[in-house]
Amino acid sequence: MRKGRPFLEIFTYALDEDYRFPILEIFAFLFALGTFVFADFAPYGQTEEALAYSLVSTLCGFPLLFIFVFLILKNVAYGLGGDLEKGVMQTLFSYPLKRRYILTAKLLSGLGIAVLLFFGIQIFGLFLLAPDVILTYPSTVFLTYAAQLCSPALLLAGLVLFFTLRLKRGGLAVVIGVVLFLAGLIVSGFVTSIAYGTGSDLSLKIWAVINPNSALQIYYYNMGMVGFAPKTWVPSFSEVLLYLGAGYLVVAALFVVGYAYFDRRLEI
Amino acid sequence: MRWVTLLGRIGTVILAIGLALLVFSLIPSGAGSQYGWSQPIGPEQYMLEELWVYSPQTGLQISMESTDNVHVYLLGVSPVEHDNWRTLLMEAYPDSDPHLVMFIYSYTVPLLFFHEAYPEQPFPDLFGPQTQNMVWNVTVLDKGLETHPEIILWDPPQGSTFSHELFPEDVLNMMAVVANPSSNTVEVDWKVKEIAAVASKDRIIVAARLLIPIGIALAIPWLILRKVKRSTF
Repeated sequence: MRKGRPFLEIFTYALDEDYRFPILEIFAFLFALGTFVFADFAPYGQTEEALAYSLVSTLCGFPLLFIFVFLILKNVAYGLGGDLEKGVMQTLFSYPLKRRYILTAKLLSGLGIAVLLFFGIQIFGLFLLAPDVILTYPSTVFLTYAAQLCSPALLLAGLVLFFTLRLKRGGLAVVIGVVLFLAGLIVSGFVTSIAYGTGSDLSLKIWAVINPNSALQIYYYNMGMVGFAPKTWVPSFSEVLLYLGAGYLVVAALFVVGYAYFDRRLEI
Repeated sequence: MRWVTLLGRIGTVILAIGLALLVFSLIPSGAGSQYGWSQPIGPEQYMLEELWVYSPQTGLQISMESTDNVHVYLLGVSPVEHDNWRTLLMEAYPDSDPHLVMFIYSYTVPLLFFHEAYPEQPFPDLFGPQTQNMVWNVTVLDKGLETHPEIILWDPPQGSTFSHELFPEDVLNMMAVVANPSSNTVEVDWKVKEIAAVASKDRIIVAARLLIPIGIALAIPWLILRKVKRSTF
């Protein structure tokens, strides 16, 4: 048997489990409706590039991002956790396939399809709402989506993957993921207050590694603010890229830990 | 069978997206923010109100009434150009006075017009009546608009009642200007309302009309197969 066939078998099985009719359709409906309902053209920055950033940010604002993160957490935690609890994973391990490929097939379904669906609808919506934004500032649009995808989406997915494998229970891992998502929202408010209060930008920089979108946000919102000395840290564009890279390194590290645990330490 | 399932699920997703667009197109546009104010304008003086940044999707509806004939303009400056002008003014008036910085930030266009009209004139007393009269003089405005005619978006003839709706073609910092050319003080009442573009909704309806039939066409074979399969087992 060719190596690709068992991989495809597991991938198809995961797709069936993660997106039973009409789960995929409900999420597609919510993503599409939310994209248009939450689109806000009110600019918060001083330049057209900042306007592009603020528009894309509102498109993937809190309610929609929460639904997207919930879909990912549901797929990663319930998809894997359910298989571990019900003993399906033992059957999957009997396939002539390395463990890491089994996990890849599961993640490709749970994470890859969700990301494809969400960002596909977002880009389509952006083309309908403001084609000039996406055509004039493709790099700003790409960077904003890359930052939003890094954290909270992929960061939480990496953490929940590890918790699911460790706890062997999907439900608890989803709860932890949702709590972490909400905690992140609260912390982002605190971080700015701490920076203002102490006059030190350390808290902002640490937070920018965990959530690179915060660095991007400060960068764009301060763009074109001539004459006013910023009260807190304002990163340069190269620093923003650096923090985005660091954010993805953290995410990659989490997934490496998850893969290593699944590959070598997971006992069923 | 697998191809029918794959195409069917793609079809149902497209249908869901099309239905979402249809639902959105039925939601009435929300009324934007609205604000108004009254202001006296001295003889041969003008006033400028920075409105906000507007785009082809977010326009404004402006209405105004005055006690005598006035000249009204709607001006629009691209944020980049606005920034360049601020930088130019900062360099022209290298004063660290925070009030001046604030003034440059809030009234970039009037100060640029003033600077162009009186390039050698410093700011002896920013809030003194003499400086204020010079900055807000109608002659300075006329000279400024002659130098920068490209920023005029709307220039109706003189009158005492005005109403206009405008969607800029680009993202622009919009300003409303009222010039009082008479020798009497006039009282001006303003109302500005933010309005959302309907054009994007037209595009959404077209997209919905396209997606829904495609989605149905792709989904039907899969849905039939699914039903047949269920009734068989």
